[in-house]
Amino acid sequence: MSTQDSLFDVAGPRARRRIRIATLVSLLVIAAVAALVVLRFAQAGQLAADRWAEFTQGPYLLFLLAGLGNTAVAAAASAVLALPLGLLLALGRLSKGGILRRVCTVWIECFRSVPLLLVVYIFVSGLPQYGINPDIFWKLVIPITLCSSAVMAEIFRAGITALPSGQAEAGLSIGLSGGQVTRAIVLPQAIRIVVPSMVAQLVVLVKDTTLGYAVSYPELMKTSNNLTAYTNHLIQTYLIIAAVYVVTNVLISHFARWLESRFSGRSARLGRSAVGAGIG
Amino acid sequence: MSGYERFSKQLLSRRGMLALGLGAVGAGALAACGGSPSLPAGASGSASAGGSVIDQAAFDAVLAKGAVASDALVQANAWAKAIKAKGELVRGGTDTSTLFSLRDPATGKVSGFDAGMSQLLAKYIIGQPKEKLTQVTVDTRETLLQNNSVDVIFATYSITPKRAEKVDFGGPYYESKSAILVKADNTSINSVADLAGKNVATQSASTGVTLLEQVAPKANVQTFDDNPKCLAAVQQGRVDAYVIDQSILLSDAAKNKDVKIVGDTFGSSDKYGIGLHKGSDALAFVNAWLKIVEQDGSWDALWKATVGQVLKTQPPKPPAINA
Amino acid sequence: MDQLFTTYLGDLLAGLWMTVRLTAVAFAGSLVLGTVVAAFRVSPVAPLRALGRFYVELFVNIPLISLLVVVTFGLPDVGVTFDLFTCAAISMVLLGAAFTCEAIRSGVNAVPVGQVEAGRAVGLDFFGVLRHVLFPQAFRSVVQPIVNVFIGILLSSSLAGVIGVKDLTLQVSEINNKAALGLTTYLLAAFAYIVIALLAGGLGSRLEQRLKVLR
Repeated sequence: MSTQDSLFDVAGPRARRRIRIATLVSLLVIAAVAALVVLRFAQAGQLAADRWAEFTQGPYLLFLLAGLGNTAVAAAASAVLALPLGLLLALGRLSKGGILRRVCTVWIECFRSVPLLLVVYIFVSGLPQYGINPDIFWKLVIPITLCSSAVMAEIFRAGITALPSGQAEAGLSIGLSGGQVTRAIVLPQAIRIVVPSMVAQLVVLVKDTTLGYAVSYPELMKTSNNLTAYTNHLIQTYLIIAAVYVVTNVLISHFARWLESRFSGRSARLGRSAVGAGIG
Repeated sequence: MSGYERFSKQLLSRRGMLALGLGAVGAGALAACGGSPSLPAGASGSASAGGSVIDQAAFDAVLAKGAVASDALVQANAWAKAIKAKGELVRGGTDTSTLFSLRDPATGKVSGFDAGMSQLLAKYIIGQPKEKLTQVTVDTRETLLQNNSVDVIFATYSITPKRAEKVDFGGPYYESKSAILVKADNTSINSVADLAGKNVATQSASTGVTLLEQVAPKANVQTFDDNPKCLAAVQQGRVDAYVIDQSILLSDAAKNKDVKIVGDTFGSSDKYGIGLHKGSDALAFVNAWLKIVEQDGSWDALWKATVGQVLKTQPPKPPAINA
Repeated sequence: MDQLFTTYLGDLLAGLWMTVRLTAVAFAGSLVLGTVVAAFRVSPVAPLRALGRFYVELFVNIPLISLLVVVTFGLPDVGVTFDLFTCAAISMVLLGAAFTCEAIRSGVNAVPVGQVEAGRAVGLDFFGVLRHVLFPQAFRSVVQPIVNVFIGILLSSSLAGVIGVKDLTLQVSEINNKAALGLTTYLLAAFAYIVIALLAGGLGSRLEQRLKVLR
């Protein structure tokens, strides 16, 4: 039973009536607002069938689907690169070595606090001035990797520090070395703790790939950009695309929650914003 | 109006189910209430679908007639030889420029004036109009050439001295000036002088930003990152005017009845060049090819199939090729 | 370098000021709306709870870019046209509130159940428990997550450039489109973001310390 569940009792008859009224009123208000928005939209001609027609036609859907595929590729590549990098950074930040620890701390704090778009711009028009000019795909994936590795490092660190210190102490007391303790005792447990948060972090990665528009990598946001250049149906396209992203990300979050329920033994849950809020 | 009907009929007869849907789009656009109809008024091409204003049939005909170089000529040029060996021309360009290089989401084909020129060049070298499009942005064009990521750039690429330090420019092959787009019911803006004190949109990272600083220093410049957003800003009254290259505005005005172009074109004429590797033997080869397509009528025909669908005039004289 | 300081320093500072203003407004709005949504999520009224859940699910998962475009170019058709700054702020508040709500909820759940039960036992009602028992205690464990939300909002302000709000990132990008200044402007901007984030983090830590003493 969590704290928020014990905030109110099972309602009595009077409270039930009040709740019923409040329910009805709130439902009416919600419905009225929704209806008003839809009505005004219809009056503005935005709901006319021809403005949505392209989303019922195979070729256009395939075009957007290809964009979604590229989104998946970019997000997956970023995840594959950022995960190990994040783990190494976390271990570095928790290490005893003075310089390594400082370097990792500075790295994490910097990339946690710099907007991804700025890093993308550095790769698009800053670094090429010095002859560093990777492929478009990498101009998106490397910045995402740099920024999200810092966040993932903090998730790993939170997972490791969430372990009772007795675990590591027990390992040391039976004669294991520091490295052995990390490998055999700390990491296996810490990783179990952070798996759900890591999967949830995929949602942030998917949203990060929307910056593909800035490097012209044809992921979903860029392809929809493309589609609007063709149809001029700005609002319709962006609404549909937003819905696609939401559905994709909700599926990922549900997967994360399912994992959490499987892994939950003693797992301390790291909340959604425990480490970083992936607004963007 | 009859243009619409003809268009719908042609689509219906030639493109089966897809056309059925798009035909309905065309019919719907007729009845669209006050808003901006979605299909181009002047489109008469049969193979073109959706929002393209290009005459796709004429476009394909230009490519079919395009000249092919002799093998000896190609083998004698290191740049062309390498492209022929690859079997495709890697072009740096965009696929969102309505008249110059626009990808039809339905077919994946890229057409427009730039796309046509590039495909004509590919045909000249390889024998087939096979190009592979690599996306470029305003920031990446020079570097993509410098590190050999692309063979050539056709991307409404204005020739500037600064860029010419880094790349060779073939051509110029096209010339354009800027213009002003306003709401159809706007009467207060008729020339550049009227822009003072007004909110004026232009695309970020375009020459429009610097141009406005020069010709209308008192205008409030508001940038958006692409054409649909600038256009919507005008339509919704968020800005009073939108200044950018005339060719872009012409296609906006052709597709949307609630906006119009006012005043004369202005600003220095933008000469579009063909971006090539600095110091390579590509420059001589491309300029020789450009002379051929300008003389054999391909340039005129391509202009009519693309830009001419909006301008409705005779093709202009192509700009003089730099020596 | 000289060119940077003679010609573009003003643009850079204007961008920084815009970023600071946008972040401050969006953060304040997120706190208010986020608290309301959090109250919805723990409310006894089922539709409000559902609405709160739906709200969080929607705005945690929507990319800011598409929301920015829909708010900026969609709202005028519903009959309201805000200026671009307001559009950016609205979009950022909608997203920020979802994350704020989650931060508050995690803080609420960090308060031991017994505290709430004790509050109920002495006769406090729903709002009484919230006001006198839960919020004062939750506040402390909420500080760090809220700082994270602040940093998230700060970073997300860079996307306002998509709808033409001249924040620091857009200014840097436009300056570099006009003149090749190497990495200088980018690094200056990055430094500014890092300083703001560190200031927020430091302030958060101090607040946390003070609340600890009070408890």
